[in-house]
Amino acid sequence: MSLDFVLEGTMIGIAVGSIYALIALGFALLYKSTKILNLAHGELVLFGGYLAIALTRSLNLPVVAAFVLAVAGTLIAAAVLGFAVERFIMRPLYGQSLLSVIIVTLALGYIVRGLMVGLWGGDTRQFPPVVPTGVVRLGNLAIPEVGIWSAIVSLVLLLLFSLFFRYSLWGIAMRAAANEQLTASTLGVSLKRVFAYAWAFAAISGSVGGILLGLWLGVNFALGYVGLKALAAVILGGLDSIPGAILGGFIIGITENILGGYIDANVTLFGIQMYGFKEITPFVVILLVLLIKPYGLFGTEHIERL
Amino acid sequence: MSVRPAGDFKISFAWDMALLDTRFYRVGFAVLVGTLALAPVLLGQYLFLLNTVGIFAIGAIGMSLLTGFAGQISLGHAAFMAIGAYTSWYVTTRLGLPFVVALPLAGVIAFVFGAFVGLPSLRIKGLYLAIATFAFHYVTEFVIIHTAGGMAGNVVPAAAFGRFLIRTETQFYYLLLPVWLIGGVFAANLVRGRVGLALMAVRDRDYAAQVLGVNLLYYKLLAFALAAFYAGIAGSLFAHYNKVIGAEHFSILSGIDYIAMIVIGGLTSIWGPHLGAALVILLNQGLRFVTPAIVELIPALSKAATPLREIVFGVLLIALLIWEPGGLAMLFRKLKRYLDLWPFPH
Repeated sequence: MSLDFVLEGTMIGIAVGSIYALIALGFALLYKSTKILNLAHGELVLFGGYLAIALTRSLNLPVVAAFVLAVAGTLIAAAVLGFAVERFIMRPLYGQSLLSVIIVTLALGYIVRGLMVGLWGGDTRQFPPVVPTGVVRLGNLAIPEVGIWSAIVSLVLLLLFSLFFRYSLWGIAMRAAANEQLTASTLGVSLKRVFAYAWAFAAISGSVGGILLGLWLGVNFALGYVGLKALAAVILGGLDSIPGAILGGFIIGITENILGGYIDANVTLFGIQMYGFKEITPFVVILLVLLIKPYGLFGTEHIERL
Repeated sequence: MSVRPAGDFKISFAWDMALLDTRFYRVGFAVLVGTLALAPVLLGQYLFLLNTVGIFAIGAIGMSLLTGFAGQISLGHAAFMAIGAYTSWYVTTRLGLPFVVALPLAGVIAFVFGAFVGLPSLRIKGLYLAIATFAFHYVTEFVIIHTAGGMAGNVVPAAAFGRFLIRTETQFYYLLLPVWLIGGVFAANLVRGRVGLALMAVRDRDYAAQVLGVNLLYYKLLAFALAAFYAGIAGSLFAHYNKVIGAEHFSILSGIDYIAMIVIGGLTSIWGPHLGAALVILLNQGLRFVTPAIVELIPALSKAATPLREIVFGVLLIALLIWEPGGLAMLFRKLKRYLDLWPFPH
């Protein structure tokens, strides 16, 4: 494992990790405020990517203007989707068992994926060239320019989101509800509205992640699997910890690129080539974390003696 | 027509515990078994539907023991099915042992893996456990692809008893039916007995169960191992039915389908897994038949044909869960209660 390999892996890992962190943030926030494990999160990522590409292409404007308008449209659509999901699917199910709710999010994922693939097909689609596609060279390192841009965008968004949660009234209400639902509702926080905002927020963060990844890699139905990596990030950080989710995203991005990439290319175990290991690195991380620290890095620990 | 006693007239414990407690049920069950035995005649070329339903119902029984009765959520059920299927493949092709040995061995190997995977359930619960099983599924898939040449598919020989090969749908059906019935009756018996009560105690409150003398380690592992055993048997049957197995047959979607089956069927019912498996499989196959017909009528939909199945499936699932969260078994229970006093309202 040469130094260059490690450095390059770290840089790309940070770039990808920042996108994972953004996606994981929506996931963790939704879990924290509604206690719903949203298995359709990957499909929300898919939703953002597909819709943004379709809108960009359909608008008859200069590429950059079309792209900006498309992103705005996608974000609005994502918010509407989030509100609709909360109102028409989740609200009738309040108080139902954990499993029914998980199944419903899965079913939601089926529908969203079905609609996206049905409308725009399952092949890989690329954005028109809105961001430079060159490669930045730092000494021996080659880093795609898109990666740098998406890293900057997601870092800015992470900052904006954390400011929103720290200072805005709704951000504070959402944090309060996430912290202690009953107390928050007695203090006048409308839980229904908080849940609706949480869903809208999850949909938006997923969509932004989808757009950024789409700029980098193109969009096809496999983008939905990114949701699973976000899941790994959230587990690593602790399901109900928002800083944990962000840190988890970075860690998953970096380990995936360094460790996974290395094992992928170089390691043979019992005479078996370990190709494809990069894809399952997040899950190996999940298993190890659950084994050693079941509640993640920052998750609330339920200490129970048996 | 009153089909059920309008009250409780049972005068012995054995009678109270009996699975088929009235003559109506005994006759009904006999009719059901009779119909199933005659299914090849009744269904004709559509027998393959019942074969598929049977295989997945066997797997779903295990899932319902684990999730419905013991309360442990598992997303990795398809991985156990894969373990069963690949064990069966290895045993029949590489070791050259007969199917009669391969089938139970597939179950036993899956049983061992299940007990091993169940170990973390002592430390982690609920969603965390669900995610651990999820990760287990991916690791299993990876191992299968890298060791057995998964993606290309492995050819499994037809099940054989001595010289007699099981080739047709009908022959396979008569192999499947006894396994299906035994599996279903065994689970029903298990659930009403000591083990079932212990599992339900663990589900409802595990510390309370521990205080009452239920050995948590034993029963949680047993639930996982039994679930894996059923899945392993289902996997082995699937392998010899389909004759080709590949990693795509046991994808995470299949594991998710299992959860859908037991939730749709009804979580805490011994009929749940059978009803759920039937609905999910028939829906899947039905949509596969219907979509080409729709495309022929409206050619504009051709691109949407494949995803249409997913969309309809998702919508039906959501509708069912919002309308009747107890699943199909709960609908049947409501019908039964209605029939208790029929034609009077009270």
